[in-house]
Amino acid sequence: MASAKTIVCACEDVTLEEVRRAFALGHRDLESVKRYTGVGTGPCQGKSCLAATVAVLARLGATPAETAPFTARPPLHPVPLAALAALDPGALGTDPGVPAAPDAPDPRPRPSGPLPPQADVVVVGGGIMGLALAYELCRRGRTDVLVLEGGYLNAGASGRNGGGVRAQWSTPTFIRLARRSLEIFDRFASDMRINVWFRRGGYLFLAPERRQVEVLERNLVLHRRFGLRTRLVEPREAAAIVPELDPSRFLAASWNPDDGVVFPWPFLWGYAAGAGRLGAAVRTFTRVTGFEVAGGRIRTVVTEHGRVACDTVVNAAGAWSAEVARLAGVALPNRPTRHEILVTEPLRPWLGPLVSVLGNGLYLSQSLRGEIVGGMGDPDEPAGVVMGSTLRFLARFARAAVAVLPRLGGVKVVRQWAGCYDVTPDNNPILGAAGPENFLQLSGFVGHGFMMAPAVAELMADWMVGRGRDEIFERFTADRFARGRTVREDFIIG
Amino acid sequence: MPRLPDPRFAPDCAILVDGHAVPARTGESVAVALLAAGRSLVSRSVKYHRPRGAFCLAGSCGSCLARVDGMPSQRLCRTACRQGLAVETQHAFPSAQHDFLGLVDRMSPRGIDHHHLLTHPRLANRLLVEVFRRLSGLGRLPDAALPVSSPPAEERFDAAVVGAGPAGLGAAEVLAAAGRRVLLADQEPVLGGRLRARLGLPGDPSLAWPRTVAEAVGRSGGQVALGSAALGIWRDGGAPLLVLLSERPARLRLVRAPQILLCPGGTARPPLFARNDLPGVFWGRGLAVAVAEAGVVPGKRALVLGTGAEAEALAARLAETRMAARAVAGPAVRARGGTRIAGLDMADGASLNCDTLAVAPPPVPACDLAREAGAAVALDVRLGAHAVRAGSDGSTGVAGLRAAGEVTGACTAREAADAGRRAGEAARG
Repeated sequence: MASAKTIVCACEDVTLEEVRRAFALGHRDLESVKRYTGVGTGPCQGKSCLAATVAVLARLGATPAETAPFTARPPLHPVPLAALAALDPGALGTDPGVPAAPDAPDPRPRPSGPLPPQADVVVVGGGIMGLALAYELCRRGRTDVLVLEGGYLNAGASGRNGGGVRAQWSTPTFIRLARRSLEIFDRFASDMRINVWFRRGGYLFLAPERRQVEVLERNLVLHRRFGLRTRLVEPREAAAIVPELDPSRFLAASWNPDDGVVFPWPFLWGYAAGAGRLGAAVRTFTRVTGFEVAGGRIRTVVTEHGRVACDTVVNAAGAWSAEVARLAGVALPNRPTRHEILVTEPLRPWLGPLVSVLGNGLYLSQSLRGEIVGGMGDPDEPAGVVMGSTLRFLARFARAAVAVLPRLGGVKVVRQWAGCYDVTPDNNPILGAAGPENFLQLSGFVGHGFMMAPAVAELMADWMVGRGRDEIFERFTADRFARGRTVREDFIIG
Repeated sequence: MPRLPDPRFAPDCAILVDGHAVPARTGESVAVALLAAGRSLVSRSVKYHRPRGAFCLAGSCGSCLARVDGMPSQRLCRTACRQGLAVETQHAFPSAQHDFLGLVDRMSPRGIDHHHLLTHPRLANRLLVEVFRRLSGLGRLPDAALPVSSPPAEERFDAAVVGAGPAGLGAAEVLAAAGRRVLLADQEPVLGGRLRARLGLPGDPSLAWPRTVAEAVGRSGGQVALGSAALGIWRDGGAPLLVLLSERPARLRLVRAPQILLCPGGTARPPLFARNDLPGVFWGRGLAVAVAEAGVVPGKRALVLGTGAEAEALAARLAETRMAARAVAGPAVRARGGTRIAGLDMADGASLNCDTLAVAPPPVPACDLAREAGAAVALDVRLGAHAVRAGSDGSTGVAGLRAAGEVTGACTAREAADAGRRAGEAARG
């Protein structure tokens, strides 16, 4: 006999008990409950569970704003990639997409706690950068830290990315940072006591053109120098790693078995809980609306729920970094750029590595739930904080994916969404003070902030507590563009 | 007696379910054919391997997934039968009836907190990740590539009506009468929406009405698109772009219309009690349609959970199949049963026996398409769900987008038809 569970979401087997537990843990709004429990993320996309979850949350004491439905995401029914690949993306222009404005409940969900009157360090942005920094500062004894997040945890790019983590980079700095992050990812579950489903399935970069093979050859030399196990493989060998690949679609591939994929959301919950245990405060649904500057220093952070006196402010707002900096009168060159992504129905495990195609920017991997998660950049995408979804993306992705992996044609897309890359003129981050002397920047990580965050947060915390200044804080200053000292990072995918 | 003894309901083909022939009628859904064959169990659930069978019978839940002709996780309630169609159980080891991974469910009566399971020591966590990977997913990758067809051309209509239930029919009727070229689309293969249940509720439009409207739509240069689910209203190219998916083969239709009327009705609402997911628990309207259109006799003893005229009518319809059937108000606290419901324990202490439970309306308004297009929703406290906020003329506040019928809240079929007509008149201009 089946056990006496009450199932709220039959697609994902989410029980009433799990929804209760999530609520008790502080995941009170429906977007957070969806992410923490998985409600509404299965093949029916919430058609049968949304109302039930609303009813449960309301009974538990959620406010009307907290029970506002999670964002409606197209497609509304599972659709095979082959059907989408039939569309001509050229006939579909770029567009802000749908939903035009994600449902913004008014009044807003409650903040996760009261605002303290003062804090030593105020971190603006509760993405992985800000939360990892808060945790690392606490570990170094600087525990009077307040993290301010405008939405729920995982609302920004940290909760919208594909979870790929790799050491295959083209500059020594990024290789060093990524390798350190990979070590932290590997230990995260046991250190922070929350599962992150890190799996080293490798990264396979496919090069369809000769000049891309040359880039891979150059990178290989660098990777070898740093002791990475990267190899250049022939199409035949690549097809031995992923038998479903069409080997006629590329000339060579770069293969590193130590790269991997994680499930992004628990990192934020883990870092937030870890920082909280050590004394930091994390406040969600608390927007920063201004700064009070006097004598060249930020004295007070102004939020929608009150003011906080502070000693140091860190801007870790990702795609919103330039907007936040502007509140302090600082101009940053960051240009947020939408990046679309999708997820398919769950399949039995068949795809080991993350597969990426150089040139068109396609990438896809199989999550620990069995879904194919994949995205693809669009060279025509204009700058702006835009997070709607387009049919054009579905068509472009489907064509590119079915071309290299033909059997994906019958696999059905269940949901699409978008996040913003935090792009800078040289694709490198912006670190250190800018404007007021106690206003530190931690932004501009394009599409790889997630995988760099654990390592960068350690270095930033070291620097902030006076334990040494890594070279990245010399090189990636905000004023480098004015001084003309830039080196581009070009191995950006997606 | 799995079907009513009527020549209209006599099987004319056989589908193959895990290699065994199951009699079916060409064109009816596999889910219905399985019910008629006395099989309510289809597969196992994704995490706990709990028994799963068709629930909504209307394409809105994910409980009847199986592999069909080499394609994974097809919804059986949307898959039409034909001679030799190959249906395979997925995600059950070795079979849906005896799945040894059902132990996972029985050994974790309070569920598994996968966020905090075996996070340490590191070696144990690595092992956990490996084991989870091996157990993950539902269907296997398709056996073969699907052909990619040539790009569909954009189609233009004066108005597009999504949903061919009472509200959509009312809207299409008015627009067609005014000579507008209307596209009337519905995800189901048959016109009528809830009218298909043929419950004969007071004020219900006549059974001939849907066809009359369809003919009028055709006469005014419009089109009826059945088996066409609305995937979304994107805005690529600036103007709203309604995209429909027709199945087998899966093809997209791109529709531009200055007026879009959303009449998708509502979706099934699973009740909350222990073992609410057992096979044999159905959405009442879906089950009534299976009885009305395929003569399915789903079991011997049915309960209808709910109150009101539609609950009573559902019970009466089920009783016509000579099942013992009656409506109960609830609330229920738990179901009994192994791989099919065997009874229901009520909050008042009563313990009722049944092999079929039909959940009565009202449904949950199907707001997602409207929300995606920018329409606002509000919590309808009486209904316990969000509904699209629309004026009496269907206006949503989004230019060119109207909504009518159950998507805006509970209403009778007659009220829905009238609301559809008003929305149609407003869209007609």
